[in-house]
Amino acid sequence: MKSKKAVLFNVLLVLVLMVAFTASVQAGGKVYKLGMSLAITGPTSDAGNPMSKGVEDWFKFVNDTKLLGDDTIECVIRDDQYENDATKRNFEEYLDEGIVFYLNYSTGSTLALKKDFEDAKVPVVPASYHEGNLIDSTQIFLPVATYSENIVGLAEYIVANHKEGGVPKVAFFIHPSAFGRGPLEDTQKAVAAGLKIEIVETVEHGKDLDSTAMLTRLQSKGVQYVLCHSVQSPVATLLKDSQRLGMTAKSFGEKGKLTFVGAHYTGGNDLIALAGDAAEGFLWACSYNMTSENNEGAKKQLDLAKKYGRDDKAANSHNYATGILMAQIPTEAIKRVKEAKMEVNPANLYKILNEMNGAKEYKSFVAAGPLSYSPKDHIGVDVQNIYQAQGGQFKAIKSVSSEYMKTIRAGK
Amino acid sequence: MTYFFQIIISGVVVGSIYALAALGLVLIYKSSRVANFAHGQIIASGAFIAFFLTVDKGVPIFFSFIISMIVTFFLAMSVERIFLRRLIGEPIISVIMVTIGLASIIDGLIYFTKFGTENYSFPAFLPQEPVSLWGVSISWTQLVGLIITSLLIGGFSWFFKKSTVGISMRAVSDDQFGSMSVGISVPRVFGLAWATAGLSAAAAGCIIGNITGLNFETLHAFGIVVFPVVILGGLDSILGAVIGGIIMGLIQQFAAGYLDGNFGLSGTGDVMPYLVLLIILLFKPHGLFGIHEIERV
Repeated sequence: MKSKKAVLFNVLLVLVLMVAFTASVQAGGKVYKLGMSLAITGPTSDAGNPMSKGVEDWFKFVNDTKLLGDDTIECVIRDDQYENDATKRNFEEYLDEGIVFYLNYSTGSTLALKKDFEDAKVPVVPASYHEGNLIDSTQIFLPVATYSENIVGLAEYIVANHKEGGVPKVAFFIHPSAFGRGPLEDTQKAVAAGLKIEIVETVEHGKDLDSTAMLTRLQSKGVQYVLCHSVQSPVATLLKDSQRLGMTAKSFGEKGKLTFVGAHYTGGNDLIALAGDAAEGFLWACSYNMTSENNEGAKKQLDLAKKYGRDDKAANSHNYATGILMAQIPTEAIKRVKEAKMEVNPANLYKILNEMNGAKEYKSFVAAGPLSYSPKDHIGVDVQNIYQAQGGQFKAIKSVSSEYMKTIRAGK
Repeated sequence: MTYFFQIIISGVVVGSIYALAALGLVLIYKSSRVANFAHGQIIASGAFIAFFLTVDKGVPIFFSFIISMIVTFFLAMSVERIFLRRLIGEPIISVIMVTIGLASIIDGLIYFTKFGTENYSFPAFLPQEPVSLWGVSISWTQLVGLIITSLLIGGFSWFFKKSTVGISMRAVSDDQFGSMSVGISVPRVFGLAWATAGLSAAAAGCIIGNITGLNFETLHAFGIVVFPVVILGGLDSILGAVIGGIIMGLIQQFAAGYLDGNFGLSGTGDVMPYLVLLIILLFKPHGLFGIHEIERV
């Protein structure tokens, strides 16, 4: 009898505690679940690791400063080691957990999971800016200008600033993957549409220890500009070899020399860390604000990193800025859905993102320009800065957006 | 003609670095018949230890390289002692699986440090201006790499031919039971093989790290990149690693120099070495200098 009473008491106690806990959670506001899968370790983790820190810090900031009132964001970040099957598994588990928004990483996994995103009807922001992500897709929202916009924009910059006579001769130095090849196809379309450059050769690089043969060949063919679309490590080896061989232009378009330019993932502080002074003069297209600009946005980025105890390397990384912007997009969408007195769910977040334009565009302190989406335009920040490596830092020299890419897209 | 000689020099330089990176694989295979899939991780570890000592601890770079080789010498010896010694006599596939697991463990440990996901470069310690002779240019980093590679390979060749320990290692490679019967400690030889492989891997890591910069993914990939070199030269031949490395380097540079960009070809520098490897293996299945063992059944 005594033990029956004890059991009853325990059951009641558990029930009371459960009710009390549920009540306290409800009183503390709603929790919005998000998921992210990226390479925190493994290939390309030099980009993915600081990116995950940016995402983590921004959501901590949102919750700590009560940016969404009593509501909070719970974003689970998982390492997929750059493997598509792990990304798919992570995404499916997130769906089971009831996420309202998903953050993805690589070009390969974004292209591979495109149909899954469509079926799940969950808005997705990837860290891949591949133009092909948007084909046959409604749920993917790119945070910034695509790789094709980077490369075609740089080609337009070359045409506008080419001092020698004749058509500028360019070579492509690209990653041997869909990620690397995408911008080449769009540049070829831009050339067909009237962009006055001559594409002399395309080099798909391997793990080269010496690029002498390739560089000498390019120079013998009269190449003046090398458009790079890869990651920093192979570009660094290329720049070091070019410097050793005395082939690097000391000023933009110097006669008989090679001027190197590159898209988003070729540049930044990591390139300088790997190539040292061989990176000097490298031109880089990027839609993020670099901390070396010492402006208000840079100060906010550094403050956020300091608040959450990040080291200088992460704090000054444009990949950390990328993470912040990727987290800011769903945060802003949730905020606006709440303000519109709607339920925070994938469908409403999708709707509000498509209305994020005109007077409703979003200004982020980490981006080079405003972020806007519409049902026909899922590219957030259209503006990109052209940065040049000067004295061990990337300094903005011009703000551009690609005119030819608008023509190419209109024709698609 | 200058272009032709430039390509030869580049090919020899690249090839000799491949040879040094491949040397560790050969040393382990030669004594224990094990293909070490964690070799790339040891190459990367050597480079990071040298960088840590130079930049974080202020040790002069030359001493950092030496210390890193000593550290990886003992590190690799410990790996053999802890993980592999108990597998002596077990099926070879078990040992190979352990080296694959070892690669994952070292990966995980490096990801715990800043070197797993961040990029660095060694401070410049050699003249930046290249050495040029009749229009053919070679950087000081490459030249020093070439000299160190030659010294190490020469040293190892002497060690295996003339020293008692080296001869013991060759004996173990030939016949483990026969070696034991004449008093050679097989476990000790295995430990030494791993240790010397660790030492050569650190040297390779320091040289590659100076050329490419310090990126973990790039560095540890060289453990796999050099597999064709040892297969071409013969898994158990130091001379084979040298010749195989130089052949690979030359093919890569000549393909990149004369085929790429012509006839609509691209990326042949990466494909041609494998193509040549396949052709050579058709005629010499044990590689150019590998021992063809005949077993009586």
